[in-house]
Amino acid sequence: MTVRPPTLREKRRYVLVRIAPAGCIPDPKELYLAVHDAATVLWGDAVASLIHPAVVAVENGCAIVRCRRGMERELAIALSTVTSCGGQRIALRTCATSGTIESLRERVASVHRPKPPSSGGPAECMIDGRLFMVCHCAGQKVDVIEKGFKNTTRFFLTTEDLEDQ
Amino acid sequence: MITDACICPRPRGDSSVRRMALEAHELGFDSLVAIDAPTCEYAGVSVMSGVLVRGAFAQEILPRVKRCKGTDTVVIVEAGDSGFNRAVLAMRGVHVLCGVHLTDRYGFDHVAAKIAADSGIAIDISLAPIIHERGATRQRALDRYLDIVMLQRRFEFPLVLSTHARSVLEMRSVREISALASLVGLDVGDVKQALGNAGRLCSPEPAVQVIQ
Repeated sequence: MTVRPPTLREKRRYVLVRIAPAGCIPDPKELYLAVHDAATVLWGDAVASLIHPAVVAVENGCAIVRCRRGMERELAIALSTVTSCGGQRIALRTCATSGTIESLRERVASVHRPKPPSSGGPAECMIDGRLFMVCHCAGQKVDVIEKGFKNTTRFFLTTEDLEDQ
Repeated sequence: MITDACICPRPRGDSSVRRMALEAHELGFDSLVAIDAPTCEYAGVSVMSGVLVRGAFAQEILPRVKRCKGTDTVVIVEAGDSGFNRAVLAMRGVHVLCGVHLTDRYGFDHVAAKIAADSGIAIDISLAPIIHERGATRQRALDRYLDIVMLQRRFEFPLVLSTHARSVLEMRSVREISALASLVGLDVGDVKQALGNAGRLCSPEPAVQVIQ
């Protein structure tokens, strides 16, 4: 198969999104399915085919999503309706749009990334008489999960909330 | 002030009000209306206390609305049928009518829109059904919002935008809210005004202003 000359190639744009909650690394294929589903359900098959979304990369808590040039707005709206991926609750926060993947890779470093877990903080805490395990701690933000295999709901708190308990 | 007109922190949701204020700061908000949370300021975000009132009859909600009178609490009432909505919109002490997308087509009509404009009560456009719902439910919500926006342009009652977020994952940035609101015919100027309305509800401009 011969490669098309640049002038005949389809023009594409790349959207950088930050994946929340911090520490969540979804499978790229699962993320693609979630984005594709969100675009199709919101805009319908006709517009979704024009958007032509694809997940190019998932790295450092961010994802690069590709779309056809001129459909960035539609893709961004569809991305804000993504609420879960592979059964896990997530949110995709649009950070930047660019014509090249390379420039977005440079932006990934500047996008707020989770800091390493603080070593001094408690690994466990009691909230309302229940035992919780700290699963992520960055700055003032603390994410906790109730201990036990039945309940895996993640709670989003701050260090001050833990001090108040 | 750019305000998310309704969020539901713990115990209704899974995120504390402080965490939601931190997130709101990152997402570009200046203030929040948090249901059943005390008024405070955190991470540069002013958190306004809100109360969500629901009832079948106007008489049922009246004592709760009266209890909040004279305080800085934002009183948000969930919409019901046409008669209920008209009674609520004429009630003193109510700031926002929410959940209009869940009512029937005649639940919020031109008469209710006129009353809302006269009394200065805001109508809430919750982005939660647009973000979380799929299929017919979302289509119905979009249809109702388009109708509300059409009435708003005619009668000029205040609009507020909210996410009704129960988690930080359900919060959206100002840019995302602006993009989502464009689905119901609100342009950037309308969105800016709607996001600013919630802050003005508790401290409305006086009818007469003395200029020295």
